[in-house]
Amino acid sequence: MRNRSRLIRLTLSYGVLIVMSILILYPLAWTIGASFNPGNSLISTSIIPKNPTLAHYKELFEGSASLPYVQWYVNSVKISFFTMIGAIISVSFTGYAFSRFRFKGRKNTLTIFLLLQMIPQFSALIALFVLAQMLDMINSHWLLILLYIGGLIPMNTYLMKGYMDSIPMELDESARIDGASFTRTFWQIIMPLSKPMLAVVAMNGFTVPLGDFVLSSVILRTTEAYTLPIGLFNLVNEVMGASYTTFAAGAILISIPIAIVFLLLQRNFVSGLTTGGTKG
Amino acid sequence: MKRKRLLLGLVSGLMTGVLLTGCGPQESGSDGSESEKSDKLVIWEDKEKAIGIEEAVAEFEKEHDVTVEIVEKNYAQQLEDLRLDGPAGSGPDVFTMPGDQMGSAVAEGLVKEIAVDETLQSVYTESAMQSQMVEGKVYGLPKAVETTMLYYNKALISEEELPEDLEGWFNYSKEVRQGEQYGLLALFDQTYYANSVLSGYGGYVFGKNSDGTFNPEDIGLNNEGAVEGANEIKRFYDEGLFPSGLVGEQGINVIESLFTEGKAAAIISGPWNLEPFETAGVDYGIASLPKLSNGENMRAFIGVKSYNVSTFSKNAELAEELVKYLSSEEVSKIRYEKTKEVPAVKALAEDQEVMESDASKAIAEQSQFSDLTPGIPEMNEVWKPTDAALQTIATGKSEPQEALDQAVKSIKGQIEANHGGK
Amino acid sequence: MQHRKVALLLSIVPGFGQFYHRQWLKGLLFLLITISFFIAFKDLLNMGLWGIVTLGTEIPRDNSIFLLAEGLIALIVIFLGLIVYYLNLRDAYKTGVMRDNKQTLYTLRQQYEHVLLKGYPYLISGPAFLLLLFAVVFPILFSFAIAFTNYDLYNSPPAKLVEWVGFSTFKEIFTVDIWRSTFFDVLAWTIVWTIVASTLQVALGIFLAVVANQKEIRFKKLFRTILVLPWAVPGFVTILIFAGLFNDSFGAVNNDILAALGIDAIPWLTDPNWSRFALIMMQGWLGFPYIFLVTTGVLQSIPEDLYEAATIDGASVFSKFRHITMPMILLSISPIIITQFTFNFNNFNIIYLFNAGGPAVPDSTAGGTDILVSWIYKLTMQSSQYALAAALTIMLSVVVVSIALWQFRKSSTFKEGA
Repeated sequence: MRNRSRLIRLTLSYGVLIVMSILILYPLAWTIGASFNPGNSLISTSIIPKNPTLAHYKELFEGSASLPYVQWYVNSVKISFFTMIGAIISVSFTGYAFSRFRFKGRKNTLTIFLLLQMIPQFSALIALFVLAQMLDMINSHWLLILLYIGGLIPMNTYLMKGYMDSIPMELDESARIDGASFTRTFWQIIMPLSKPMLAVVAMNGFTVPLGDFVLSSVILRTTEAYTLPIGLFNLVNEVMGASYTTFAAGAILISIPIAIVFLLLQRNFVSGLTTGGTKG
Repeated sequence: MKRKRLLLGLVSGLMTGVLLTGCGPQESGSDGSESEKSDKLVIWEDKEKAIGIEEAVAEFEKEHDVTVEIVEKNYAQQLEDLRLDGPAGSGPDVFTMPGDQMGSAVAEGLVKEIAVDETLQSVYTESAMQSQMVEGKVYGLPKAVETTMLYYNKALISEEELPEDLEGWFNYSKEVRQGEQYGLLALFDQTYYANSVLSGYGGYVFGKNSDGTFNPEDIGLNNEGAVEGANEIKRFYDEGLFPSGLVGEQGINVIESLFTEGKAAAIISGPWNLEPFETAGVDYGIASLPKLSNGENMRAFIGVKSYNVSTFSKNAELAEELVKYLSSEEVSKIRYEKTKEVPAVKALAEDQEVMESDASKAIAEQSQFSDLTPGIPEMNEVWKPTDAALQTIATGKSEPQEALDQAVKSIKGQIEANHGGK
Repeated sequence: MQHRKVALLLSIVPGFGQFYHRQWLKGLLFLLITISFFIAFKDLLNMGLWGIVTLGTEIPRDNSIFLLAEGLIALIVIFLGLIVYYLNLRDAYKTGVMRDNKQTLYTLRQQYEHVLLKGYPYLISGPAFLLLLFAVVFPILFSFAIAFTNYDLYNSPPAKLVEWVGFSTFKEIFTVDIWRSTFFDVLAWTIVWTIVASTLQVALGIFLAVVANQKEIRFKKLFRTILVLPWAVPGFVTILIFAGLFNDSFGAVNNDILAALGIDAIPWLTDPNWSRFALIMMQGWLGFPYIFLVTTGVLQSIPEDLYEAATIDGASVFSKFRHITMPMILLSISPIIITQFTFNFNNFNIIYLFNAGGPAVPDSTAGGTDILVSWIYKLTMQSSQYALAAALTIMLSVVVVSIALWQFRKSSTFKEGA
């Protein structure tokens, strides 16, 4: 009796897992297939192309004026990388401040910013454009990086504070007694212990620029300054001359490296997220 | 408590002080921007069309001792970009746009009026020139005209075999339809294409006032003629003569590839397909659109692309000069040879060399039976609801009368919402 | 007169209060900051304040929108200046109090240490908050300001000046039929979308984590890796791919999968209900791995003896799940679940990239799948209804912020005593 129900349960479990795996792998496989298909449109695209071609990959690396894919790639990696670094630095500082110090405004500021951040900013895109113009930073990747970092601070500080709260206070108190400064305590005690959460913040910092095409397309006005999301979106979205297959090739080249990094780091994320999100 | 009030008083005192000194710009606006002329012009040209004006621009640079930078940008997108880039100073002096955006461009003040006398006006075809005028003022010069036309694959159908009217095509399509093989394909689920049928039966987008301007309150997309036209379109879908639900924005790519792959005998499309088809090596012919079953001609939209001067140009005089130069007969001809865009210059339409091409012949012929795409801002509200109605007709989800009534209701609502009382 | 009052009065000109206390260096610092503040921002303050009040007086010289933005930046700069000014006053006053009480004043070195100690949290989080001020607060102030102007297609620079019009745009949302009906349609779908899509992804994530983490399952690592994949691929890429897959006529879903199953093509992109269905499914696909990951972490941390004890008590697999696993999971990941809801409420990318909010539906200025954010985006970028979009943003914010506030009150993270 017990064995039979166990058998049923396991069969069902494997069934569920296999079906889900297929659902997940199919679109990804389809994209890989599409990138090798000749032609531009969806119509004759199939998972296993009849006449596979590398033409779309070649096109991406040719670097024509309207499709400087390599340049976009470099831009995106640069923006993501520096956003990540900036987010890690600023968030660990703010996280430290909110977790370890009792100062005026501590209770409310962060909540206020968290709330403000939920307000959509689409009707203010022009304002950010004017800001960029006043600073003479239109087309500037650095301004974009700063804006991304600014947007990342509230939520990630919230997570970071939660995580740091789970590190026992006694540790830094004893360090203080030994004469270590705040900054030193921070670098030598808090930071190393916060690694899993730093991984989460790093991940958020890296992926936010890769998911945005609205803010970036307001600040970045020339083709060479574009990031991958703007460039790839335009590839698919142009009413005349949309190229799905080239998009697929471009999408694969960006997705594979990111996916590998993610899978390698996932262990860190898990412990960061479960602790940071829960401890209060 | 007392201390707080004292502080508050001090702070607000300072505030008022700052406000009082804040008295705005010192000098008035008459000078400023006009005085600082630059010796550089920027022109936004349509995508992949810069090749057509490179020579002319070089010539212009020499003659006026300026540098002209050419930037390629999708022409339908340029006005949107100008909104931001213009005031920011990163905008162009000269740009290009489709005629149906003219109304919005003028309402927002993004495009500058230019001085064009009667003689210069008469160089261009009347309808093309019309598209550049708002309330009697001229805001640009036509660069090229577009209408839809019939492409046929010579391997599948010869010129003599071409059916005369839509009815004939209907029967032909029925005959050849099997597997992946199609007769005539058209994007009749989109307003731009379907309008040629609807208005051939008497439908129209906006009625006209007595002075020739469009009347946004008179919408004829659900009148008897329009419904008759929609029924005509519906037959093609009902009989399965178009690939199952050839609908949505991707449609253009679909019929393009079906045609290049030899799976469709003929398609209705615009001059933008000339080059791709040539590159793809299709042996194709071009003809004007077939007649309708009621004996009328299909009335396609005429789209006009134009060169315009941006309001934000620091060197508007020279920019105007450049617009006139680029739209001149001489340059238009070179442009045509390089980019296959059909110019709106009357003299060229009679030119043997130009007329030799089937495409320009078809466009010239079709233009006689066509209406200008309305250029008033209200036109923005027409596309989406009408597309939606046509799609529901194409997919058989609702009857023409019902769908079009709904569309017109939506359009009227949108116009009231976005343009009401203005 | 007491020292504190004299110092405070003298401090109206920053630095002079400190001079009075013979704190020369500090006084000089305050004075220098003040002077450089006015030199650096003179033009900005002048133009900005004039601009925000008048919104320009002359076309084409004045661009109202640019003036408005400059004005707001000027206000932010003034705000920062006032903070310094306040510190100046406070410092002079406090030192005065100490003198009145005949206390010895701090030496320079003591002052420096005092600032470092007391001000440390401000010092390390200051730059971040400065950034927040410009990246988050400034755009919001701008939206709020725009909502009270008449900025739209017919009142836009450079052709026209924009004017302050008060609440009339808000009134329009409720009095013009088509706006009102659109607003409530979109609001309804936004709520349905948020609840259904978030619940689906959370439920799916938990369910799969529980299934994949059963002791007996083999190839755990392989399954886990596959299940996490949707999270590892950039979202905008996946959404655009799905848009292609769901294409009515040529997408693989209709042509390969449904055709193989003998089901007729489904109008994924042209029928609002099918579009909504597809969107919810996609969000499930995109969103579950995150929950899956987190839940897996929680599951691994549940002590084994809990289950053993339950097994001895004769609990079935199901009742173990219900009484041990589920409560543990919900307890630990409920804050994360809440973030999923707020995320989907503002999930612009999936709606816009999939079908641009389409298909068009009658009696509505928004598309069939538009949620509030994507509608606001389209109003701004496509219909030039800037003021209206901003007014909607405000109304939306009120809703979001009050819900979130209520949630935060319940969650413990910001309670003291941690």
